[in-house]
Formats: sequence, C-alpha cells, structure tokens
Amino acid sequence: MIDVIRDKVKELLDSGEIKGFLGLVRKNGHIAPHLFQQGDDLSLMSLGDDKVAGDARYPLNKFLINLAKAYPEETFAVLVRGCDDRGLQTLYTWNQLNPKKVVPVGITCPQELADACECAKPFPAVITAGECAQPGTPRSVAAVDALVMSERFSYWMDEFVKCIKCYGCSNVCPMCFCNECTLKCNDLVKGGELPPEIPVFHHTRAMHMVGRCIDCGLCEEACPSNIPLRTLYKKVGSIMEEQFDFTTGAVRGQRSPLNKIDFAEGRK
Amino acid sequence: MGAPINYRTVLTTCTYCGCGCNFFLEVLDGKVIGTIPCKTSPVNEGKLCIKGWNVHEFVQHEKRLKTPLLRKNGKLEEVSWDEALDFTATRLRQIKESSGPDSIGFLTSAKVTNEENYLLQKFARAAVGTNNIDHCARL
Amino acid sequence: MTNSIAEFEGADCIFIIGSNTTVAHPLIATRIYRAKKNGAKIIVADPRRVHISEVADVYVQQKMGTDVALINGIMNVILEAGWHDQAFIDERTEDFEKFRKVVAAFPPEKAAEVCGVSADDIRAIAEIYGRADKASLVYCMGITQHTTGVDNVKSLANLAMLTGNLGKESCGVNPLRGQNNVQGACDMGGLPNVFTAYQPVTSSAAAEKFARAWGVESLSTMVGMTIPAMLEGLEGGTVKAMYVLGENPVVSDPDVNHVKKALEKAELLVVQDIFLTATAELADVVLPGVSFAEKDGTFSNTERRVSRVRQAVTPAGEARQDWWIIQEISRRFGYAMDYASPQAIFDEMTTLTPSYGGMTYERLEGDGLQWPCPTSDHPGTRFLHKDKVARGKGLFHAIAYQPPAEVVDAEYPLWLSTGRVFAHYHTGTMTRNSPTLDAEIEEGFLELSAEDATQLGIADGEWVTLSSRRGSIEVRAMVTKRISVGSVFMPFHFIESCANVVTNPAHDPICKIPELKVCAVRVEKSARTS
Repeated sequence: MIDVIRDKVKELLDSGEIKGFLGLVRKNGHIAPHLFQQGDDLSLMSLGDDKVAGDARYPLNKFLINLAKAYPEETFAVLVRGCDDRGLQTLYTWNQLNPKKVVPVGITCPQELADACECAKPFPAVITAGECAQPGTPRSVAAVDALVMSERFSYWMDEFVKCIKCYGCSNVCPMCFCNECTLKCNDLVKGGELPPEIPVFHHTRAMHMVGRCIDCGLCEEACPSNIPLRTLYKKVGSIMEEQFDFTTGAVRGQRSPLNKIDFAEGRK
Repeated sequence: MGAPINYRTVLTTCTYCGCGCNFFLEVLDGKVIGTIPCKTSPVNEGKLCIKGWNVHEFVQHEKRLKTPLLRKNGKLEEVSWDEALDFTATRLRQIKESSGPDSIGFLTSAKVTNEENYLLQKFARAAVGTNNIDHCARL
Repeated sequence: MTNSIAEFEGADCIFIIGSNTTVAHPLIATRIYRAKKNGAKIIVADPRRVHISEVADVYVQQKMGTDVALINGIMNVILEAGWHDQAFIDERTEDFEKFRKVVAAFPPEKAAEVCGVSADDIRAIAEIYGRADKASLVYCMGITQHTTGVDNVKSLANLAMLTGNLGKESCGVNPLRGQNNVQGACDMGGLPNVFTAYQPVTSSAAAEKFARAWGVESLSTMVGMTIPAMLEGLEGGTVKAMYVLGENPVVSDPDVNHVKKALEKAELLVVQDIFLTATAELADVVLPGVSFAEKDGTFSNTERRVSRVRQAVTPAGEARQDWWIIQEISRRFGYAMDYASPQAIFDEMTTLTPSYGGMTYERLEGDGLQWPCPTSDHPGTRFLHKDKVARGKGLFHAIAYQPPAEVVDAEYPLWLSTGRVFAHYHTGTMTRNSPTLDAEIEEGFLELSAEDATQLGIADGEWVTLSSRRGSIEVRAMVTKRISVGSVFMPFHFIESCANVVTNPAHDPICKIPELKVCAVRVEKSARTS
C-alpha cells in the first residue's frame, strides 16, 4: 500500500500540483507528522502503523489548517483515512479549509482497525490505495446503554472524576478550531479546579461535539485518564443520526442540525 | 516551485516534571507554534498534561532574556558577551585567588541538560577547585 | 525509581504516600488509573485530600509529619499477621532483628494516636499491601521534605524489604522526581559529595581518575557545601561568590527573606537563566541561556531513562547555548575547554560514568536507555536490585518517630503545607509566562477548611494574612473540603504571595532537605480587599 502512496505523492510533487504532502515519517526511532516537499526522501514515509495498525495516527488535518493559514495560496496534499475524510468535509463546510487547495491522498483502514474503532466507514471517498474493510460493529455505546440509569450515572462520574484537565481531548481534536473555547469560559466551567467541575466540563465538550465529531478517536487516545471519550461522542453522534438523520462529514456543506434547531428544521 | 516551506516537527523531551514525556514541537518559519505528544513514546504514549500541551508558549515569549546584563552603578545594563564573560571569569579568578576555591559556590540545575550539568561540575571541580556544587534536588 | 513507569500497570497494589500524583506527575497517574482498571488496589495516604485519592480503595489523612508512625504501625500489623516475606528477609537483607524490636513496640493503636489514622484503617492498609503479590510504593516530596525525610524514606524501604517487594517487576520503592532533569543533575555529579554516577569525591581513586581525565594535578577530596551551607557561608562571609545556573532560590527555597539577604551579601552573583527571575534581579551579571526547545542534549527522567532533547528553534536575540557559556567562562578563567557540541560532552561524560558507559546519542534514538547501561551492548535496566540488592544486603533501619521541627502552639495554631497546582510548575518562571496556563490559574491561594474559616470569620475569596516565625504574606483564602481542620495549604509558584516567606528552613540532619511540608502558622483576616 505504501508504495502506491509514495508514487502518488512523488507524482503530485513532481508535477508541481502541490507544495507539500502532509503525512507521516519514521525518524528518531519514532513515527512523526511530516511535511514532504520536493526533493525529500520518501523512503522513510509511514502510514501510522507502529506496533499495530493505526496506533501512530496524528491529527494531520489540524496541522494542515496551520499550514493553510500561513500559506493560503499553496495547495497541500494530506494523508486521509475514512475519519480524516469526514474531517476534511466538515472543515470545508465550516470554512476552515479551502477544498480547492487540498488534495486528499486516501488510504483504507484494515479490518482490525475498523473493528477496533467500530468505524461506520473505514475508508475515504476517494481511495488512492487499499481495499475497503467492512464497517466495524458498534458495541461500546450499547454496552453503556445497557446499564440501568443509576449505574450508567456512576459509570460516567467515576470516569470523569479522573480528569486531569489537560484539555488534550480538545487540543488534539481536528474539529476544535474555535478561537474562544467554552471549556475555558469561567462562567460555564470554573477555572483552576482539579478535577474540573463534573460532569459540566465533559458535557459541555460533548455538546460541542454535536455535528462536529467525526469519530476519529484521537481524543480518547490522547486522554491521560483513559476516559472513554469516544464512547461519549459516539453516543452524541448516534442521537444525531437517529433524531436528525445526520452524519457528520457525510455531505459537504451540510451543517449540524443544532444550528437550525431554533427554526425547528432538520427534524426527521 | 519556489523555496520550500520551513515546517518541521522536532521530537524532544519535556522540560517540566520528572516523567520525561516525549512530544513533537511544531515549528513553522522559525516559530514554535504547537506541541503534539509522541504516540510511540514509552513514557507518555501520545498523552500529555496541561503543562506539556502548552510548553511551546513560553519559549519565544517577549520577556525572554536576549542580552547579557552587567550591574553598573547599581543597575543591570546590557553589555556585550565579551564584557560579560570577561567580567565573570576575572572576578571568579580574583575571588579564588584572594579567598580560596571554597569561597565560591555553584548552583547547577535540574532544568538544564546532563551535558550542561556535567560541564558546570567539571568547571567547579577542575577549574575552580571546589566541590561546592549543589542544585535543587531537595526542592 | 527502583522500577519503571510502565510497570505500575502490572501491580496488585499501589501505595501512594505524600504524592499529589495527578498534579505533579500526571503521566504516572495515567499508569495508576490503568493499574486500577487492571484490578490493583490503590492506597493513598496524604494529609490533604489530593485528587488521586478519588480512585483510592483506602484513603487516609495522616497528620502532617507523622509518616514514620503510620508506616511503623502498618509494618507492625504485617509482622503480627505473618504477611512478611521471611525468605527475602533471610537471603537479601540484614539488621532485621533490631528493626523488628522497634516496630514491635508500635501497635496500630499507638500509631493511630500519633498519626490520626484509625487503627482499623492501618490494619486495612497492612492487609492490602502485605498480602499483595506485587506491591509498589509511590512517594514524592510529601515524604522527603521533612526534618525526618531520610527516616521517612528508610521506613518505606523497610516496608518494601519486609514484604519482599524489591528487585522484581511492578514492585519497588518509587520516588517521583519533581524536575525534568533532577535525576540527571544528580547523576552528573551536581552534588557536593559525588562525581558523576555517585562516585564519592572523598575516594582518592575517584579523585585521581577524574583529575587524570580532566588534565589537572589533583581534585579536592573534601565534601563541598550544600545549598543551605552556601547560604550560611554567604552570611558568615566564608562564601564570596555564587554562580547560579537555571535556579531561582529567591522563590523556591524556604524562608526566602533570609535567602535574599544572604545572596545580597555575595561579592559576586552570577545568574544564568532564560528569564529575569527574582534571583537574576539580584545578580551582578546575568547571562542569557536558552530553553530546552533551543538546545540539544539529554534529560534523565524519574525512571532513569535518558532521552534526547533536540533543538527546534534558534535562540532569541543574543542568548547563547548554556554549554557554550560555561565553556567560554572556563576558557577565560584559565582552564581550557574545547567541545564542539553537546554530543562531544556526552561522549566524554560516558567514559567517566559507569552507569552511562554504554550510551551514545545513536543508541538513545527510539526509546532512550535506562541506567545502569554499562556497556555498548547492554539493553539498559528496567528495575533495580534484581537477584541482589545493589549494596549487597538490604539494610533494615530501626526508626523511631520524631515530631516535626516546628509544632503548632497558641501563637501559631495551624499546620501549613506547601505544594504544586496542576497548571503551574515550581517558581512559575516558565508556566506563568504561558498565556494558557496563566489564564487557568492566575494567582496563589490559601486552602483552609470551612470550620477554620468560620471560626476566623473568613469567607471564600477573601484576603488573609498568613504569618509564621519567618514572616508574613497576604493571600486569598480558598475554603475547601480538601484540607482537614487545623491545617492549611498553599502553592509555592506565586511570588506575589510567596509561600516560602513563611516556610521553615529547618532541615534533615543527613540530606539537608528543608521541612517545606510542615510548619506552624497563623491566619488572620486581612484589611486588603483587592
């Protein structure tokens, strides 16, 4: 698979179609986010699989926003999986990236990763390399939903109380691009406390993930307290699907129904 | 094609607590713009605390010291490196000669690298001739 | 740490004492959370209800400065119940009998009287720790920053040896080192009594070895001064000059008014730092060094792992590499140094430092290496004391309880402890210049219990005057359940409300660590309103 990606990137760079390719590289004995530019050695390219598939994924779209802001005239290619592709569509929708300046280089996820992620669509719209895996079976939300209310409440409270307020969930999230963050608004979540006010801190973020979360799972992987954040946001996403028939990033230009809720639109 | 964009991710080790987390500093055109935890680090496995996530913020802070300062007429004034270094070396030499090597004390640092710690204790012991070297291990 | 960070996940029991882990060592808290999920029992003992206590199976709130009593009580129960590891004691330790006698005289009821933890809780801790297959001890400055710091640590070592929890995976005695490279500064001989890798300066063989390598005739074999001794020397006039590299004693050390006075007496004060700290403001010469992001080198973390530091950006203005500054001063002083890079320094250091002997920059790529790593084919060491305790036999110490240097009285009726908050670090030189961290917590505070607040007529957020025998400061009150009645706590990061104006410089007779974790204070309502 990686040879196909390398060839594609080489072609894009050589043709001058792109200024650089935002992907991953093996260096210093680790896998690192990297901007490949013309003349760069592509042999050390990585797809983010270290010990197991997809265990060294990074929020490349987030770095792409930084680059695009500094170099708005340039076109960049970026390595995308299914989740990243949903991310790109959403970032286009919210005017964070210009689709004319982005060339997605799409890879599919292997079945084991699709299963681990319980991913509904483990491949991007345009695939440069790889075979499509079957969608992963959703389990985590159902497992928590199966608990009676009091148990479910303590389940979440026991998880939230471990929070060390690193803001990593937000920092790593390719969809967290607001200039001002509600989590840092003292009136909503009192600053300086550990754990942060629970469950307000996590509920506030969950609310903001409505119509935003593209289910990449980077938040949970970044959580030093091992809080099952992905399950929480998957739940939020499932409500959106059931109630509004809305999947984040499925259709470019389609904004979250919560933006329309005042007008009683969007309901199935 | 034009000149390449100066965009790099540099793998390094945190400067705060003793966990020693590894992360990439994201550098664009000479400015450090972000921190991203290293997924394959044996210590932090792609996670960081609030201090780590924001460690890039102080690096290029406007209040960083940029010039050597020397006290003249009671006030710290900007001077050249030559003046600052000569002053320091000369005064240390004078004090060693007049009061002996053990009249000089060194505080090395839990913040600087092993190499720098090694070098300062070498300077204290081999050049000045004293074992008066300590650091904030107890703080 | 005797063991490694990742090993916590495999422990059956983790006993955390005097460590505010989620605040001061968040990524170690991660492993403790995982251990809990894997079924480990978590015990937390701390005079303050620290965040990690939220996941504790047993949490106890011992009185400040009573750790020896608590630990002796626990060991008494373990011995009585026969949960000790006699085979380990027989094969790997010595002086057990003397120790046994002291502990035998410390039944849980007696310990309870001293430390304020109920005898039942002491029994519960003893049972969980004593019966665990793999029990790990975690401690931090809550154990060490006492006039009995050495006793406290030895007591924990006793506990681990008594139960055979040493020299095997997921066990051990694990002090969490507070600064990124405090381990390295010690390993590199940044101490008055040792060269690198703890080779004693008093050993003529070591002194000769270093003298030869460094091209000097001889080196002093007299133990040098610790920080407190240097400060005393400044006051008494025996110390004339101080060279301070990247430290801020005017905020970090106990009784800072006294520290400041001492430094002001210096004929020459050289400060090399990245910001104009309170200490740098007193200097005769200030040398602008560079931060970790502007330099190459290595740091050694709390699990003895040596990791690379890599330069990401060029230094600001005329700031120079710290190694270059030292080299230039040395050269001008009359002792030639000619290193081309940090790597060249590292390569010289490893030839003189057995535990780092097998390390090279090339080998540090990837996961780094944990010392001891004596040879170029040695993989490094995950946990110490395997098969045999490093000194030969593990030495039991018979330790009796001693109270703190300063105890509460009518004039200073409250116990004060100091520590960190999650968004700041040490004297705040870096974190308070970070906009995000500054916005999270902008100023210092004094935690006190609702009961004490009511009695003193103080409401949450009001200004109070905090006084001790050393001095007094103004700070806002924070009324909280985290602290017990009769005790107060404040962070030491904030120079405007500098906790170390009031802390006690009394120190441990052996290791000279100051008693920052306990002193007697008075709190009064302040006239200040903003």
